[in-house]
Amino acid sequence: MGAFEGIDKLGRYQPPTESCRHDHIPSPHPEAAVHSPKLAALHARLSLPERLPLQTLARSLVDVSADSDPAFNNSSLAILGSDILGYYTSEFLLCHYPRLPMVVLFAAQSAYVGPKTLAALSQEWGVEAAACPGGEVDPGLLQFTQVDPGAPPPDMLKPGTTSRPNDDRHYRRGLSSRIVYDDQFGDMKANPDSGIAITGSSTSFPSSPSRSQPTFPPPSSSLSSTLTSHRPNLGPDRQPTASRTTAYAPPPSRNGTTHERARQTFVRALCGALYLHCGKPYTRSFFRAHILSRSLRPSTPSPATSSLPSSSAPQGLASLFAFTQPTRDLSRLCAREGFEPPVARLISETGRASRHPVFVVGVYSGRDKLGEGAGSSLDEARFRAAANALRGWYLYTPGEGEVSMPSETEIGAGGGNGRERGGGKKYIPPFIDPGEVVV
Amino acid sequence: MTTNLPFRTLKRATDSAIRKRPQPKRAHLVQSSTFTTSLRLRVEEDVDPADRPRWQQTPKAMVAPVPTNFKREHMTFKVNESQEKLDEVYVRILGAGGDRLLPEEVKWLAITHKSFDHGRRGFNDRLAYFGKRVVDLQTSLALLTAPDPEIQNSSNPQLDEFGRTPFQHHSLNGLDKLTESAKAKELDKSRLAQLAESYGLAKVIRWKPKNTRNLAGSGIDVVLAHTIYAIVGAITLQNGGEIGNRIVKDRVLNPLGL
Repeated sequence: MGAFEGIDKLGRYQPPTESCRHDHIPSPHPEAAVHSPKLAALHARLSLPERLPLQTLARSLVDVSADSDPAFNNSSLAILGSDILGYYTSEFLLCHYPRLPMVVLFAAQSAYVGPKTLAALSQEWGVEAAACPGGEVDPGLLQFTQVDPGAPPPDMLKPGTTSRPNDDRHYRRGLSSRIVYDDQFGDMKANPDSGIAITGSSTSFPSSPSRSQPTFPPPSSSLSSTLTSHRPNLGPDRQPTASRTTAYAPPPSRNGTTHERARQTFVRALCGALYLHCGKPYTRSFFRAHILSRSLRPSTPSPATSSLPSSSAPQGLASLFAFTQPTRDLSRLCAREGFEPPVARLISETGRASRHPVFVVGVYSGRDKLGEGAGSSLDEARFRAAANALRGWYLYTPGEGEVSMPSETEIGAGGGNGRERGGGKKYIPPFIDPGEVVV
Repeated sequence: MTTNLPFRTLKRATDSAIRKRPQPKRAHLVQSSTFTTSLRLRVEEDVDPADRPRWQQTPKAMVAPVPTNFKREHMTFKVNESQEKLDEVYVRILGAGGDRLLPEEVKWLAITHKSFDHGRRGFNDRLAYFGKRVVDLQTSLALLTAPDPEIQNSSNPQLDEFGRTPFQHHSLNGLDKLTESAKAKELDKSRLAQLAESYGLAKVIRWKPKNTRNLAGSGIDVVLAHTIYAIVGAITLQNGGEIGNRIVKDRVLNPLGL
C-alpha cells in the first residue's frame, strides 16, 4: 500500500495521510498500526519480540464491544490466551501445592490470572483506554464501549442461560460440578448462544461466517451531518462489497462492557497472540515473568486475621483459607490418614486474669505437634492452632529443585526435559494427593 | 505462625514420622463398599488390612463400629472392585499399554468421584480440574487447524461492509473458527458422556448416584465427563504434557470429530 510508508527517504516520520483516517469504521485500519507511537512504545515497553507484528498487537487492543467483526477484534485471541494462562497456572499450582483444596485452588487461580489481576496487569503496563471506539482512535489505546453506569452488568446471568440444567431452581452448586460446567475460577458462565457476554471472553454476539452481514445499527442522520464522510481509499485492485459513505456510529452502550473486562480480555488476547506468533518457549517465559513473579497479598484483612498483628497474618496462599470448624476438619483428616487423634495442649500462657490474656496452644498427634496458635482465649488459641495445622497440611510443597511441570516436556517448549533432546532433565511426576478431607 | 518458646524447641512435624495408629492383626469387621443392615465378618488371611491399598478400603478410624443407616439391599449401588476390569477400560481408552501409564493408586483415584464413600477414599476433582485445562487448550488449538468447509478460504479474504481486509499472517490462520460456541459444542457434557460410555467407563467409575434407578437424573453425564477430564489430568501429570496432549488429541478430540 503506497499511502502508508511512515518514514520518508530522509528518515523523517511521515504522519498518515488524510485518506487513512477512516473515522467511519469501528476500529482503526490494521495498516494504521505501524504509524502509532503509542503502540510501538507499548511493544518496546513489554520487550515483545519482533515476531509479534504491531498489527496483531493492535488487534488485541480492540474489544468485541468496539468492533464485532471477529477478524478485527480480540475475542478469538482472548479465548486462546485464557486457555493458555489457565493451563500454565493450574500446572504450577498443582505441581507446587499438590494438596490444595478445590475451593482454594479456584481462589488461587483467580488470584494469579483472574479478572482483577489481569486488569491490574494491563494498568501496570501503561495501557490507556480510548474514551469511545472508532476508526480515528490511536491504535495503541484499548478500545471498547463502556457500559452505562447503573445498567445491568453485561455478564449478568439469567435463569436458563447457563449450560447447567435446572439453573432456575437454585440447586446447590457443588464444587465438583463446577469443574465440568463452570469456568476455570469456578464461576458460572453463560451459554455462548444465549447472547449474554461471557466472562473472560468477549464474544457477546454470535459469530457470523460471512463478514458482510452488518451488526451495527445504521447511523442516524444527525450524525452523518457532523462527521466527515468519504469513500475508503483501498487501491485499484480491491472493490468494496458494500461501501459505507456515512459516518460510523458506535454500538449502543447496552452492548458494552466494563473497563475491567476489556482490560482482562486484552491481556488474554496478548497471551494468545504471543503463543501463535512467538511459540511456546517465549509464552512460558512471558508467563513466568509477568504472572508467576507476582506475590499474593490480601487486599482487605479478613475477620479471621484482623485481631492478629499484621506480621503474623498468613501471607500468600495461606491467606486464601477460611475455616469454619478447623478442629473437626483436623480430626477427620487425622482419622483418614491414620494418625493418632489430635489433642490440644496448652504450651504457654500469660495474663489469664488480665484484660489481654495470651494463650499459646499446640495441637498434637501423639508426640508430634501438627500446629500451634495463639489467641486471647483458650478456644480461640485452639481453633487457630487447628487452622494452622490444616494449612500446614494443605500447603505442603516439595522442594524447589524437585518440581517439574508437564509443559516442560512438550516438544518445542524449551524446558530441556524432552526425551528427544537427550541429556535433558528427567520429568519427575508431581505428588498426586487423594483430595481434601470431606466432613 | 511463629512464637518464641524459650523452654521448648519447636519440633517440625516433617522431622519425625507421625506415628500411625497401631493396627492389631486379627479378624475384624471389614467395611465393604455396600452398606448392609447385617454385619459381615470376613477374615483376611493373605493381606493384612494395614497393607491394603488406600483405594480398597475406607480408613478404619472413619468408620463407625455399628452402621446406623438402613439402606435397602436392592437400592444399593454396586461399583467395580476388580483391577482387571479397570485395566481393560484403561487399555480401551489409552491404547495398548494404557494400563501401565499410571500407578495403581492414581488409576483408581482418577475414576473415583467425590460422591463415592463420602470422599473418604479420595476423589478425582483436582485431576479433573487440570484435565479440563489441558482439554480446553488442546480444543482451542485443534479448532484453529480444523478444516471447515463453511468458512470461506482465508487466502481470498472477503471485504467486510466497511471495505477493509484484516491483517493476514500465517500464524493467525484459523482464528475465525475459534469461538466460544464452537468450543462449547465440542465439549458438551453429553458428547463427552457418550464418548465415555463407548469406552466402557460407566461400568468402572466409582460414584454414588442419588437414585439408583435413574442414573441420568442423578447426573451420570456430568460424572462421566468429569472422569474423562480426570483421566486426562492424571496422564498429563504422571507422564508429562507431550504424552498428555497426544492422548487428548487421539483419544478425546479425534473421536469427537476434531
